[in-house]
Amino acid sequence: MANTATARKIKSTTSDKVFTVFNTIIMVLFVVITLYPVLNTLAVAFNDGTDALRGGIHIWPRMWTMNNFTTVLQKENLLTGAKISVLRTVLGTLFSLFLNAVLAFIISRKEFVFQRSLSLFWVITMYVNGGLIPVFLLYKALGLTNSFWVYVIPGAISCYNMLVIRTYMNNSIPNSLVESAQIDGAGYTTIFVKIISPLCKPVYATVALFSAVGQWNSWFDAMLYNRMSEKYTTLQYELMKLLSSVTNQGTSAEAMKNAAGAVTPTSVRAAATILTMLPIVCLYPFLQKYFVQGLTLGSVKE
Amino acid sequence: MVGKSASAVAVIAPRQEKTFWQKIKEQKVLVLWALIFFVFGFIFYYLPLGGWVIGFQDYKPKNGLFGSQFIGFDKFIQLFSDVTFLRTLRNTLCMGVLNLAFCFVTAIAFAILLNEVKSNGGKKVVQTISYLPHFLSWIIVTGILHDMLSGSGIVNEILVGLHILDQPLNFFAYPQLFWGIVVFANIWKETGWNAIIYLAAITAIDPSLYEAAQIDGAGRWSRIKAVTLPGIRPIIMIQLLMNVGNVLNAGFEVQYLLGNGLVQSVSQTIDIYVLKWGISQGDYAIGTAAGIFKSVVSIILIVAANQIAKRSGEERLF
Amino acid sequence: MRKAMADFLAVLMVLSLAACGGGGESDSGVKEFTAFFAVPGSEINSDNEIQAMIAEITGAKCKETWLTGQTAAEAVGTLIAGGEYPDFIDGSDATQQLYEAGALIPIDEYWDDYPRIKEFWSEQQWDQIRRDDGHIYWIPQFGRINEVATTTTPDEAFWIQVRVLEWAGYPKLETLDEYFDLIERYQAANPTMDDGTPNIPYTILCDDWRYFCLENPPEFLDGYPNDGSVIVDTDTMKIVDYNTTPTAKRYFAKLNEEFQKGIIDPESFTQTYDEYIAKLSTGRVLGMVDQYWNFGYDVTDALKQAGLDQKGCNYIPFGLTIDKGIHNRWFTGGSIMNGANGLGITVSCEDIPGALQFIEDLLSPEVTTLRSWGVKDVDYMVGEDGLFYKTPEQRANTANTAYKASHVCSYSYFPGYLGMNPDGINAARPDLQPGEFYDALSDDVKKCFDAYGVQTYVQMLGVNDIPGPWFPMYSHSNNMTTATPGGVAWTRIGEIKHEYLPKVVLSSDFESAWNEYLEAYASAKPEDFLSEMQTELDNRLALAAKYE
Repeated sequence: MANTATARKIKSTTSDKVFTVFNTIIMVLFVVITLYPVLNTLAVAFNDGTDALRGGIHIWPRMWTMNNFTTVLQKENLLTGAKISVLRTVLGTLFSLFLNAVLAFIISRKEFVFQRSLSLFWVITMYVNGGLIPVFLLYKALGLTNSFWVYVIPGAISCYNMLVIRTYMNNSIPNSLVESAQIDGAGYTTIFVKIISPLCKPVYATVALFSAVGQWNSWFDAMLYNRMSEKYTTLQYELMKLLSSVTNQGTSAEAMKNAAGAVTPTSVRAAATILTMLPIVCLYPFLQKYFVQGLTLGSVKE
Repeated sequence: MVGKSASAVAVIAPRQEKTFWQKIKEQKVLVLWALIFFVFGFIFYYLPLGGWVIGFQDYKPKNGLFGSQFIGFDKFIQLFSDVTFLRTLRNTLCMGVLNLAFCFVTAIAFAILLNEVKSNGGKKVVQTISYLPHFLSWIIVTGILHDMLSGSGIVNEILVGLHILDQPLNFFAYPQLFWGIVVFANIWKETGWNAIIYLAAITAIDPSLYEAAQIDGAGRWSRIKAVTLPGIRPIIMIQLLMNVGNVLNAGFEVQYLLGNGLVQSVSQTIDIYVLKWGISQGDYAIGTAAGIFKSVVSIILIVAANQIAKRSGEERLF
Repeated sequence: MRKAMADFLAVLMVLSLAACGGGGESDSGVKEFTAFFAVPGSEINSDNEIQAMIAEITGAKCKETWLTGQTAAEAVGTLIAGGEYPDFIDGSDATQQLYEAGALIPIDEYWDDYPRIKEFWSEQQWDQIRRDDGHIYWIPQFGRINEVATTTTPDEAFWIQVRVLEWAGYPKLETLDEYFDLIERYQAANPTMDDGTPNIPYTILCDDWRYFCLENPPEFLDGYPNDGSVIVDTDTMKIVDYNTTPTAKRYFAKLNEEFQKGIIDPESFTQTYDEYIAKLSTGRVLGMVDQYWNFGYDVTDALKQAGLDQKGCNYIPFGLTIDKGIHNRWFTGGSIMNGANGLGITVSCEDIPGALQFIEDLLSPEVTTLRSWGVKDVDYMVGEDGLFYKTPEQRANTANTAYKASHVCSYSYFPGYLGMNPDGINAARPDLQPGEFYDALSDDVKKCFDAYGVQTYVQMLGVNDIPGPWFPMYSHSNNMTTATPGGVAWTRIGEIKHEYLPKVVLSSDFESAWNEYLEAYASAKPEDFLSEMQTELDNRLALAAKYE
C-alpha cells in the first residue's frame, strides 16, 4: 500500500510540478496587479499635495510628506467618530451575525412548515427598495433618527449573508448529527446552539467579516439620519465630509467658483483611504485563519 | 454528506403524516422566531415599499406622499418611450451580464487556485493582498486605471514596445472597448474579495476526500474537478442565483467615472439616467419608477432561475 | 472569553456615553444657529478661533453643515419630507423646492431694521427674485461688489503660455486664427520643452459639466458676454442660440482643422479633470480655453513648486473674437447677481430677528474683515499706508487645511462683499489685494504684463459693464428642470453636445460630422428651450422697465 502510493505520487509529480509552476506564476501576477493600486495610493498619500497634481506618481512618493495624514488626523470629531464606528462595528456585527444565523437555521430546516414562504419573503428584500424618502420617514417615526440604533437595527438582517450561512448549514454539516440529536430529544434551540453553531465557525467568520466591513465603511446612514447629532457621527462620515469639501468630482461651476481654490487634494483622499483601511487590514488575519487554514471538520463529523 | 436531504424528511416526519397543527406545535420555537423575523422584515423592508406610490405620482415634496397628484403609469410610459432610457437599459443589461459572467468565474478560479498553493504563508499573503483593492474607492481605482491606459501609460508603453500597436491607443475613445474596461475594473477591484466566500466553502470540504482522490491517483487538476468543485457547488449556485437578480444593478460610479461624451452611448446605465433625469432634477417619480422596474425584473429573474435550479436538483434560494 | 467580550462592550459603552456628554452648551448667552448648504464645503471645528471672536461681537454663532455624497435635490427632498430644517439654508439648485414646500420665511417682511441686508442688492435686483406672492425668500450671497478691485481674477478666456508670447515678441492676439497660428508656429519651432518632454499645443477639457471649455467659446467669439446658455441679441432683444451660429461652425471647423494638423491633444475628449490639471501642471500645454477658477489656483501653485514659472509656463488670457473689429466681452465687471438661489431662513428658526441680526452683523466692516482677512497681526499685517499684507508664513497658513478648520471662519455661504473691503483701501479678499497679487506673480508674468502695458490679468481682457438688467441668463437655465419642455430640451441638448461636438472635432470629414450634429441637435427640440429663455428674458426686461 505504501509502495503503490509512493509510486503514484512519483507518477503524478511531473504534471503536478507543471501545475505548481503555472499556479505560482498566476498568483504572482495577480499579486502584482492587485498590489499596484494599493501601493500607488500609499505613495500618493505620502506625497506632497501640490506636487501630486502633476501626476506620474507610481509606487514611490516623489516629495515625501506626512502632512496629508496630519491633515486627516486633525479633523475634529475624528475620535468621537472612531468610537462610534468601533461600537457600531462590534455591536452591529454581533447582532447581525446572531440574527442571520438564527434565520438561516430556521430556513435550513426542511421540515419547517413555513420554510419556503419565509425564504421567499426574505429573498425578495434583496431586490426591493422603498427609496430614500419613505425609509427616512419610517425611521423617523420609529425614533431611529438622531440615534445610535439606526446603525444596528434596521440593517441587521442581510438576506445575502443569511443565505450564505444557510447554504453552509445545508451542505457542510452532516444531517446525521441533527437527526441523532433529535432522537436524543434535543430541541431546536439546543441543536442550533450546541451542534450547528460550533461547526459553522468558518462561515460565521466570513459573514462577520462582511458585516464588519460594511459597518466600518458605511457613512451614508450617519449623514442621512444623524446629520444633526454630532455625538453619533462615524469615522467614515467625518472623513467623507473632509473629502467632499469641494473635491474635483461632481461639484458645479457655482461651487467651484465660490470656493476659489479651496480644493481637497487627491493626496489627502489617499491618506484618508489608507487610514480607514488599516483597522480592517489588522483585523483580517484573526478572521482569516478560519477560512484559509480550514477546520479539520472530518474528525468532528464522524 | 451524500443523500442527507433524502433522509431529512424521513427522520423528522416519521411514521404517519402529521397534521399542520401538529407540526406547528412541534416546531413552535421555529414558528416563534419566524414570526419575529417576519415582523422585522415587514417593518424594515416591506413597509417602505409604500413609497412606490411615488412612481405613480407627480410627487412634490411640499405635498408629501399622501398629497401628491396621481398620474398612473405616465412615468413608466415616459421611460419606455425614451430612446435614451432604452439605451441605458441595454447598456445596464450587457454590462450586468458581462460582469456577472467574468467576475464570477475569476473569483471562483482564484479561490480554487489559491487553495492549491501549498505554502500556508504564501496563501495568506496572496489572499491578504488580493482583497485590498476592495477598500479603495472607485474614484481612486478609476483614477489609476485612467493613468495606466492613457497615451503615456504603462499599457500603451508595453503594447507599443511589443509592436502590437504602432502608436498609443486612446482606450477611452472607443465605444467598443468600454464594456471590456468596466469588466476589467470590476475584476481588478473585487476578485480577491469575492473569492473569500468560496475559500470559506472550500475549508469545509472533508480532507479525507482529497486523500481518497490522491490514493486513486488523481492529479491536482482532477482533484479540483472531482473534489473541490463539487464541494463548493452549492455556494456557487446560490451566488449565481443571487447575482442573476442583480444584473440590472450593473453599477453607477465606475461607468460615471470612466465614461465621457464619446462613449456615452454605451457607458450610461439606468442609475446614471435616473441621476440625470430624476434625482438631480427634483423628479422623484422617475427614479422610483425605474426602481420599481428594476425590482420587478429582478424578482422575475430570480424566480425563473430558482425554478431552473429546482428542476435540475441544485441548491436554490427558496 | 465571554467575560472578556462583555467587559470590552462595557468599556465601549462607557466611552460612547462619555463622548455623548462631551458636547455641552456654549458659553454664556451666545446664540447658536444651524445652517445647511446644499453644496460641498469645508466644515470648521466647533472651537474655531475666529468663529469665537465673531460670536463675541455678534453674540451668535452658526454651525454649518454641507452637502456630502448626495445631490442638492436629494438632500433638500429629505429635509422637506422630515419637515425639520436648520435655521439657515441654501438649497442650491433645489431652492425652488424649499420655497414651494413653504420652508422659507419672507425676508422682506422683517428686513426694515436691517439696512445692510436690505441694501445688499439694489431694489431693482431684489425685484428680480421676488416670488409670485411678491416676497423675497433668499439672499443671493455672491457677486455683490463694493467697487471693482483691479486685481480681480478673470473668468473664461483663451489662455496661452508666457514662453510662447515671449518667443513671438509679445504679439497682440485678437482672433481665433491668430491664436492658433501662433501656437502652430511656436510648436513647429519648439516641439519640446527644455527637458525634452513633447509639448501639447492645445488641449480641451471635456469632463462632465466642465465641457464649457469646448462648447461655449462661440458666444464670446461673436462678442457677447457670458450669458451662459444663450446669446442675448441687444439690438432685437431676442434670444440667439450660439450652438448653431456660423461662428460656431467656423470655431469647430478650426478645431477640426487643428486636430488634423496634430495641434489638438488627442486625449482632449477622454481626459478627466485630474488628468487635465496634471497636464497643465507639467507645463507641457501651450494653450486652452478655461475659467480661471477651474485651473488657476492649483496649476499656478504646482508650476511654481516645480520651478516651471521661471520657464514661461504660466498662462496669459486673451479675449479672442472670430473676426477683427468685434469688441470682446469675455470679462464682465460689476455686481452680477445669480438670483436662482441664496441664503434663506427657515420656518424652523425660532429666533428670526436674531437670525437676521446675525446676517446683518456679518456684513459689518469689522466682521467682514475678520471673515476674509482674519485677525490683525496673526493672519495679516497692516502697513504704514493702511494696506494689509501677509507674511510668507501667514500665506502658508491659508493653504493649511487643519489651520483653516481650527482658526479661519469665513462663513462663506453667508452674504459677503467682493471687490474692495468696506474700508475702501484694501481688497475684500487677500488674493485680490494688489500687494498680495503682485508678490504672488512670477517674474515672467510680470515681464509679459509689462510688454503688454498692463498690470493685471483682467486688463489683458478689458472690463465690460453688465450688458443689461437681464444678465446673466444662466441664472435661469441652470435651474431649469425636466418639469418643463424647455428643461427637457436643455438636458437633452447637453447630452447631444457632449456626444457630438467631440466627434465633430475628431472627424476626418468635418462637413458631414457637422451635419450629423445639427440633425441630432434639432431632435432635442431646442426651440422649446429657446422660447422659455425668451419668456424669461421678456419678464426680466419688463421688470426692469419700471426703473427706467
